[in-house]
This record gives sequence, C-alpha cells and structure tokens, in this order.
Amino acid sequence: MLAHPFRTALAAFSNRPYICQSCLCRVKPQLLASRHPVIKITSRALQTQDNAPNKDNAPFRKSLKDAAKQKRKQERENAGASKKSQKGKDTRLEKWELTVGIEIHAELNTARKLFSSATTSVNELPNTHVALFDAAFPGSQPHFQIETLIPALRSALALSCNIQQKSTFDRKHYFYQDQPAGYQITQYYEPFARDGHITLYPHDFPSGVSPEGGPVTIGIRQIQIEQDTAKTVLQPPSTYLLDFNRVSHPLIEIITLPHIHNASTAAACVRKIQGILKAVNAVTAGMEMGGLRADVNVSVRERNAQAGVAGLSYYGVSGLGQRTEIKNLASVKAVEEAIIAERDRQIGLLESGGVVEGETRGWTIGSKTTKRLRGKEGEIDYRYMPDPDIAPIIVGNDVVEHLRETLPMLSDDYIQKLVSKEYGLTSKDASTLLLLDDGDRLDYYFDVVENLRSTFSGTRDVLSRVGKVAGNWVLMELGGLFKNEEWSSSRVPSDALAAIIAHLLRKQITGRTAKLLLSMKFEGDARLVEHIIIDDDMILRPLSRQEYTALAEKVLEGKPDMVRDIVENQQHQKLKWFVGQMMARSAEGTVEPGAAEATLRELLQLPPLEQK
Amino acid sequence: MAFGHLFIFKRALFTPFQDLVFLRNLFLGTQLRLTSSVQRPGTTVSKEVRPEVLEQLFLNPTWSVESLLPPKMHPSDGPKITSQQLHHLLRLSALPLPENPEEEKKMLDTLSAQLHFVGEIQQVNTTGVKPLRVIRDETAAAEQEQTITLQTLREALTKEKAIGKHHKRIQRQTDPVDARNTEDLDVLGFAEKKVGKYLMVESQRPQE
Repeated sequence: MLAHPFRTALAAFSNRPYICQSCLCRVKPQLLASRHPVIKITSRALQTQDNAPNKDNAPFRKSLKDAAKQKRKQERENAGASKKSQKGKDTRLEKWELTVGIEIHAELNTARKLFSSATTSVNELPNTHVALFDAAFPGSQPHFQIETLIPALRSALALSCNIQQKSTFDRKHYFYQDQPAGYQITQYYEPFARDGHITLYPHDFPSGVSPEGGPVTIGIRQIQIEQDTAKTVLQPPSTYLLDFNRVSHPLIEIITLPHIHNASTAAACVRKIQGILKAVNAVTAGMEMGGLRADVNVSVRERNAQAGVAGLSYYGVSGLGQRTEIKNLASVKAVEEAIIAERDRQIGLLESGGVVEGETRGWTIGSKTTKRLRGKEGEIDYRYMPDPDIAPIIVGNDVVEHLRETLPMLSDDYIQKLVSKEYGLTSKDASTLLLLDDGDRLDYYFDVVENLRSTFSGTRDVLSRVGKVAGNWVLMELGGLFKNEEWSSSRVPSDALAAIIAHLLRKQITGRTAKLLLSMKFEGDARLVEHIIIDDDMILRPLSRQEYTALAEKVLEGKPDMVRDIVENQQHQKLKWFVGQMMARSAEGTVEPGAAEATLRELLQLPPLEQK
Repeated sequence: MAFGHLFIFKRALFTPFQDLVFLRNLFLGTQLRLTSSVQRPGTTVSKEVRPEVLEQLFLNPTWSVESLLPPKMHPSDGPKITSQQLHHLLRLSALPLPENPEEEKKMLDTLSAQLHFVGEIQQVNTTGVKPLRVIRDETAAAEQEQTITLQTLREALTKEKAIGKHHKRIQRQTDPVDARNTEDLDVLGFAEKKVGKYLMVESQRPQE
C-alpha cells in the first residue's frame, strides 16, 4: 500500500465543512489512533511547548514577543541546573553539522485548472468541478491552460530564477486512490525555471538575529509546474471518500539546494517563501488552509570529517551524509520541530555506531521523534517519462519582461525603506506592518505619513520624527482599537489620524487627549478633528511653573504619610499616584504628566526622571 | 535495476528491413513498367522480372525479429531476475502476483527474454541521435506559432486589478467563471461505490 499520509492529512482538515455531523462523531475519536497520522486543527491547542510562533498568520509581533519571553525564561532556567544539558547539546552540535533541503508545493491562484478548463475551487460541493481529463476518462486529452503561467512566472521571477524558454511535462507513475490517471503530470526533466535564490535577513527571524551571523542565501535548484491530486477523507478503518474538485489544480514545486544548516533557518525560509508568493498574488491560501505544503530532507555530517571519507552529493553539494525525507509538515512550527527531532535522532544513531537509512518519515505535532512511513524497500520507482500528449511550453521574452517590470515590490525592499531614515521604524515594526491585513495597513500608514509630510513640510525637525510617530499610532493605538474587529481603513480615515498626530506634534493637545480623540473617531464621531477639539475644549493650555508648583503642593499636603513613604522608604512608584491626582484635579488636557512628575520630583528633592 | 526507457525509438532503421522495402518498391516498379509504354530518358531499364521469380524470392525470409530474442534451447545470458524483483515490479504496475510457481517461472522467462531483446536493441549505435518523444511539428514556424506572448495572455491579464494607493499589489478578480460545458460531467454516475457526493474506495479487502 503506497502511503501518502501528508495528502490524507491535509485533505482531512481542509475538507471538514463537508462531513456530516454523524461522520464527524464517528471519525473524531478514531483520528488520533489511526495508522496514518491525520492532523486535526484542534490538536494544535494541545501543544505544551511554546518555543516559536504556533500560527504563521498570527501577528508576527506576537511571535517576536514570544521569542523574547522564551529567551528571558531560558536565561532564568540557565541560572539553575539545566546548564549541564545545554552544554552537552552544544558540544554535539559542534561536532555534527545539519544539512536541510526543502521542497515546497504551493497551490497557484488561477481561475481554471492546469490541463482542463474546469474551474478551480477551494470549498465547494464535492465533485462538481471535474472535467473528463481530470477524472482520467479513457480518450480524454489534456488542454494546457496558459493563464496558469502568470502566477507561476511571477513566483519564479520573485525568487530570482532563470525562466527557461522551453519546458516540457513528464509523467510520474504511481497508483493511489487520489490520482485517477495512475500518473501525475509534472516537470521532471525540463522545469520552467532554474537556478534561483532567496536571502534571509535578520528581520526574517523571530529573534531578530540570524543564526549564521549575517544574511543567509539559499539557492533554489528549480521550480516546476505540476498537477494536484484529489482530496481524500479517511473514514476508519480503511474507507476513503474522494472529492475530485482538486485534481489537476496547478501547483508549483520549489526545490531548494541543501544550503540550510539550521532548523530555524529552514522555518524562516518556508515562512519567507510563503510571504513572497502571497506578495506576488501567486498563492492565496497559506499553510494553514492547506495551500502550501513542505517536505524536508535532513542529513547530518561531521564538521571535521577526514578527507578520505566519501560523502553523498545532492545537486552539486558534496560530502553530505545519508538523508531522510520528512513528509506531512503542515505548519512552519512543525518544520522547525521536525528538523530538530530528526537531527537529534540521526546524531544519536550515528554516535552509537548505527547507520542512517534513507527512508521516508512522518511527523505529527506534539510528538518527540519522527516516525518511519516507508523504508528503502518500499521506495517507489516513478518511471518518469515525457508526456507525449502535451506540447512543450514556449514562453516569449516579452511576457517575461512585462511580468518582471510589473512585479510588486517585495518585503525586503519595503523593510529596507521603512527602516531607513526616511521612516525610521524598527525592523520588528516594519515586519509587522507588512504582514497585517494583507498590506492594507501599510498602505494606510503611507497615506498618513504623506499627509503629515505635507502638513509639516516647513519644519525639518518634526518632519524627521513623523514616520516613527505615525508608525506607533497606526500599529499600537489604532491597532489596539481594532483588536477584535476586522481592519477597515475608512473607520478612522487617514487624514483624521494625521490631523490628530499633527495637533499632538504641535503640542496643542496632550497624549491622553489624542488617544481620546482617536477612540471618539473610531466610535463614529463624524465631526472634523479640529471641531471636536474646539467644541469639547481639549486644547492644551500649558500651566505655568507657578501653577504646577501650587497644584503639586496642594496635592502633596493631602497625603503626608505617602510623601513620607516616597522620600524615606524610596517608594518612588507612589509618585505616579500624585501625578494622577494632579491631572484629575485640573481640566482635561491641561496637565502634562511629564511636567507634573518633574515638578513633584523637584519639590520632594528626588532625582529627576531619565528622559525616555 | 535499469530496464531502460522503452519509449525511446531510434530513428536509425534496421538494414534488413531496408532491403525488404527496396525489394517491394522494385516489385511495384516493375508492375508499373509493364503497363506503361513511356520510357523516360536517362533512366536505366532493369531486366524484366516475372512475378513467379519474385514469389520465389519472398518465400524464405532472410531475417526475423526472432534473432533479437534469446535462443530457445540455451538459457538467456541476460541479468538474472529474482522473484522479489518480479513481485516488486508487479506491485508497481498494480498487476496480480503469480498464483503458482509455474506461472512465476513463465513470467520470469518472458521477462528474461524481453531483457535480452532490449539488450540487442541497445547494441545499435545511437551517438548523436536525439531520442524521439512524440511526432510533432518542430519546425521554427510551428514553434513561433506556439510561443506564448503578451497577446495570447492579454485576456488573462485584464482579469487582474491593481489595488493599494502607495503599497501597490496585484489581485486576480474572482468573478465566477463559466465552465459548464466542461464541468457537466456526472462523475458520480460512473462511480461503482459512492457515499453522498463522494466516491468511495476501500483500501483493504473486506473481511469475508
């Protein structure tokens, strides 16, 4: 029985809307016990170890926060007894070097399928978008749909590949129920794109630091177009339900060279490729929806191997150890964990004198080691053969040049722009801004900044701060208001936000007033910002020094025991309470917390607060 | 274990076959000459051949494809195939395994003879000959016609729009596409077993 559990798994959870409730009830308790590891979405909640982000479309900011939290936790633990085990692990890694190669399959964003004019679909009624060729009816012929080339070429150009003028299709033969024809049409001998590369910068890693020290460039051997298979739903013990809507949906397979030497690099690579494909509109569904799947090849070798020891070579990289392939990886976190588990297994095996077998293994979320799916004796002989029914694809230069010129700007260029003096954001903020709301948030940000620039076109010192302040407001303040809702750029129009920030920068209102204004506009106040400020009397009337001092003295007199606490017992936190009191006792928007605190500190003869 | 890619047809033809073709053309030529009375200048006139002579000539074949197969009496000198390899091949091809040792021996012998045949064919010198994949128009004019250009993709490119004011992105329009003439296949109508709107497949034999 040829096992393809990764397809089964992804089919299972992406097909959930169609299973009737009674089937679901029958299937649910069995799934975890079935022979083929079938992934349920709910099992993700059972993860206990939270090393890295567990959803790749959750705010990247959250993953950055998690990474920082994890680092602090580890530092605390390291102070304890676990230092010894960490040391042991580090020496093993000093002796052994990991090498990883990745194969990514991505579903292309097209209207019709690859070899028939039936429409592509994601969640439609089963078996309603199937053409004769998709169902492999005898005598049916393939009709190559040229529009599938548009997203494919864009992906290849975004990954800096050379587009081959002529490419051909081949048949990959194996029998499985999700493949009606008995072979998959792919491009084995002559793919349409070769020799690309992708560079990972420190901002692509959650910790902000690249494990190799600087940017890592990973070569891409080739990108090929191929057919997708049917969706299968397993009804235990051995019944499969088939939905042929997905058969012949165009996929691209991206094969990287074995240039990756770190599990986190591999995870970052998968995340980045997914981001690039989404940025050029080549794919719409990410790994979560089953639109992107990754298989990894893992091997280890000794760093200081003797010259005589011959290693295996893959795609021109020589001296490598025996590799195993891990299939069934459905998320970025799974990629990282599976590689770490497999690396440790292989090192353990080699150190105890064993030999690594070239086999195919699987990984389920939450397990400690990879599981063997099939060994060498179960290896499939695909008998690749050029498909005689399909003409070679000949791509004209004009198409390639047009798509290259109209390719959208990619994340690396945007982050470089946002981090530069022009905008002055941190790389964390820049990455977050890019990821949120499919780029709508970034568009809004640029609009706000443009607005502010025209307002402050004269004053150079304010102009230099405009980018950073706008970034804070768009991400933090406005982002906070949208926490449980979907983003909409018309809720608080960009010119309204720009007006609020402009008033704040001119010190016409306090920070607190500005936040209040923002939430008023968010709740639907239709008045112009200027009108609200005038109507509700929010203008900052800065108090003079005497007024501050008088107010401060009055407030301090009221609570002499607290004053004693602060001065004698060094409980400086209680100052904040006095600041609050000063603000509460005066009109809205007149007392600035910074100035109030400075006055109080002066009165109590405390050291001044450091400038934030 | 390399069994070779049997789809590779060599353009070089066998010499014995060419002899047969020549003889056939000669025969047809003589038939025509017997009926026509015009003799073109510069052509050599061959001796008139009578049909009985030709019949005699074609009685005994000078060559047979049997020469490429192993002799029946002697065992094949090709690579030995184990029973495991045979079973592996049958599983790959989704063919039933042999039911008894006699059937298996017959299969192994046939396979062995086929390998010998392939070996004989591989003796032909094909250096510099590109394998033929399919008979297709491969002239420059045909390639020009088949090239995918901006013109051919124009309709597909109009179905996209640019969104975003500063951060420009592409978005394919997801208007419903009419594919009724290809999708009107009643997939379930041809299915042996089905469950609701799905086709059903048992991956194991039911326990009797």
